[in-house]
Amino acid sequence: MYKYNHFIPLSVYNINNVEIIPEYWYNIVPDLPEPLAPPRDHDPLNSSLDLLNRILPAEVLRQEFTSSRHVRIPEEVMEQYAQIGRPTPLIRAVNLEKFLGFNGKIFFKYEGATVTGSHKINAAVPQAFYAAIEGIKEVATETGAGQWGTATALAASLNNIKSKVFMVSVSFMQKPLRKKIMEIYGGEVVSSPSNLTDFGRAMLKEDPSHPGSLGIAISEAVQYTLDRGIRYLMGSVENSVITYQSIIGQEASKQLEILGEEPDVLIGCVGGGSNFSGFVFPFMKSKVEMIATAASEVPKFSKGKYKYDLVDTAGILPQLKMISLGADYVPPPIYSGGLRYHGAAPALSMLVNNGRIKTDEVGEDASREAMQVFARTQGIVPAPESAHAIATAINYCRNPANSGKTVVLNVSGHGLLDLSIFGE
Amino acid sequence: MKLALYFTFPYPSLERFGKYMEIISDVKFEYAELGIPTKYPYYDGPQIRKTHGVALKEFSMESLGKQVSILKSQGKKVYALAYCNLFSENPGEFMEKLSAAGIDGIILPDLLTDFYHERKEIIHSVHDHGLEAIPFFNASTPDHSIEEILSITHSWIYFGLQPSTGIKVPLRIDEMYKRIRSLCGSREIIVGFGIDGPEMISELKTAGFDGIAVGSAFIRSMDEDNISAFEKQAKMLEAETHGK
Ligand SMILES: Cc1ncc(COP(=O)(O)O)c(C=O)c1O
Repeated sequence: MYKYNHFIPLSVYNINNVEIIPEYWYNIVPDLPEPLAPPRDHDPLNSSLDLLNRILPAEVLRQEFTSSRHVRIPEEVMEQYAQIGRPTPLIRAVNLEKFLGFNGKIFFKYEGATVTGSHKINAAVPQAFYAAIEGIKEVATETGAGQWGTATALAASLNNIKSKVFMVSVSFMQKPLRKKIMEIYGGEVVSSPSNLTDFGRAMLKEDPSHPGSLGIAISEAVQYTLDRGIRYLMGSVENSVITYQSIIGQEASKQLEILGEEPDVLIGCVGGGSNFSGFVFPFMKSKVEMIATAASEVPKFSKGKYKYDLVDTAGILPQLKMISLGADYVPPPIYSGGLRYHGAAPALSMLVNNGRIKTDEVGEDASREAMQVFARTQGIVPAPESAHAIATAINYCRNPANSGKTVVLNVSGHGLLDLSIFGE
Repeated sequence: MKLALYFTFPYPSLERFGKYMEIISDVKFEYAELGIPTKYPYYDGPQIRKTHGVALKEFSMESLGKQVSILKSQGKKVYALAYCNLFSENPGEFMEKLSAAGIDGIILPDLLTDFYHERKEIIHSVHDHGLEAIPFFNASTPDHSIEEILSITHSWIYFGLQPSTGIKVPLRIDEMYKRIRSLCGSREIIVGFGIDGPEMISELKTAGFDGIAVGSAFIRSMDEDNISAFEKQAKMLEAETHGK
């Protein structure tokens, strides 16, 4: 039997309504339950804080330490957001619900719908924009999975500046297509450790086939920035990045409101914490449960310590108080390159430490399986990073205690360039 | 506009510290802030951090007491700027000593970050020893923490403009002022961290801050033992805050 009523699919809310894009980014710092521990110098003779003036675009640095709860999004950035696919859709995962026999609702915010295929472009666009209007001609950054580098390459081109991307060596080898797409967007890509910086050269000398790490790639990008007098774009962890990513949660909150839905739980994956924090922080005033998923192979939540630690392995940037496995931690070469970072954003770390945000850790096998389930039910091949959150959501829905709940999941990216995770 | 002058005590030496205090004895300023040296002055930039290491060598509560009584005889209010890591074990004993040295109040830059869970206990201990507890806030202090601390203190407020001393991150002063004023009502707000030239001082005055605190700006002339540069700096600050 077929139904032929005037039918509005209950599964989809993805109208292309630009009014869904908020006018302000949301900075959680003034609303945190405790004061955020400030960045700290670790070298007694020099100020890494002052050095930030030579590393970051001035406006980004100002926003890193702003006391304002709301930061107005410049018109030009709004325009670029609309061009790169914002607002992203909020979709009800009806087929996944059926597959799981779940009698609640599962929604997902789909950041893979941006042109570069992940949430990373949300933070790349404003940083490249501010750099360009400050007269900077080139920016540098690091990339693990390749998503951040891709976003930086496009954001730089959109703002008519050049970009240099230090790509973690293991990803560089695992993901040749990633390198290609960055180049198509106009970026220059080098494998890190590289011989373009002192730090990279030292690492290569130690181990010519060094697999690299995000901490090392950040160090190289920052050192290259200082050497060349250009500016560095930050992909995650730092507060301003979390603020830019708040666009995800603010859009999702409006979309849920239009649908008349109240979430019971928000789930997302954590590398440095930008997509997760950007997704959940705008909901912080409500009682909604929040679960952050990391990779079991990089067990920052179960084995990490909440302490001051280095952001980059070379220790050029100021230390942050965060949950960390240690800056010299070299993570195993899992496919989810975006989850291989040793730490997590300070505000997120604080909220995990005080119990407001719950955590989960999911292994590569479970995430690969979740990728397949999501692809077969929803038609979307999620990024392996995002699949960690999907795995957590699946387990959550399978728990009888959660029957009838409304689950909202952030799918931070698509995995179409990560298919080698399934073998040759 | 009020003027607060910060010096790590006794930098660069007891003898030279006394000499500098003599020079400023005919400068108009309201508050003297004496930094109690510590091994870990986390929220200070490299310049002030270095003064702590040097000052540790000759610091004693007795010499502090002597200096305090000289400043007080000149009509200044004298505050100690002290890190909680100096007394984490026993705040009472430390407050007792400061009180005996004649100090009026204490500013604790790390109270709300590294000692957040002990904050009320420490503030009570400050008050129990007859000292004023000067709240120290900056851009990252959440609204409700500011409100809570204001409700259990009575004094003026120290607002750090920059994430640490001697650092110059770009700021939007009017925006910062609006937020902190709306939270602090009519309480006196003295701003510090990274203040140098007349331009910035006039911007802070126009915004509505009640006073400024200056420290790092003196260190270069102290290091060079350049008395006239030191005096000139102090006179400039006096002129900018109290009229020419
Ligand atoms: C698709 C995707 N999701 C998540 C992450 C993890 O980073 P973050 O925790 O900052 O969102 C990355 C990082 O590269 C990513 O590419």
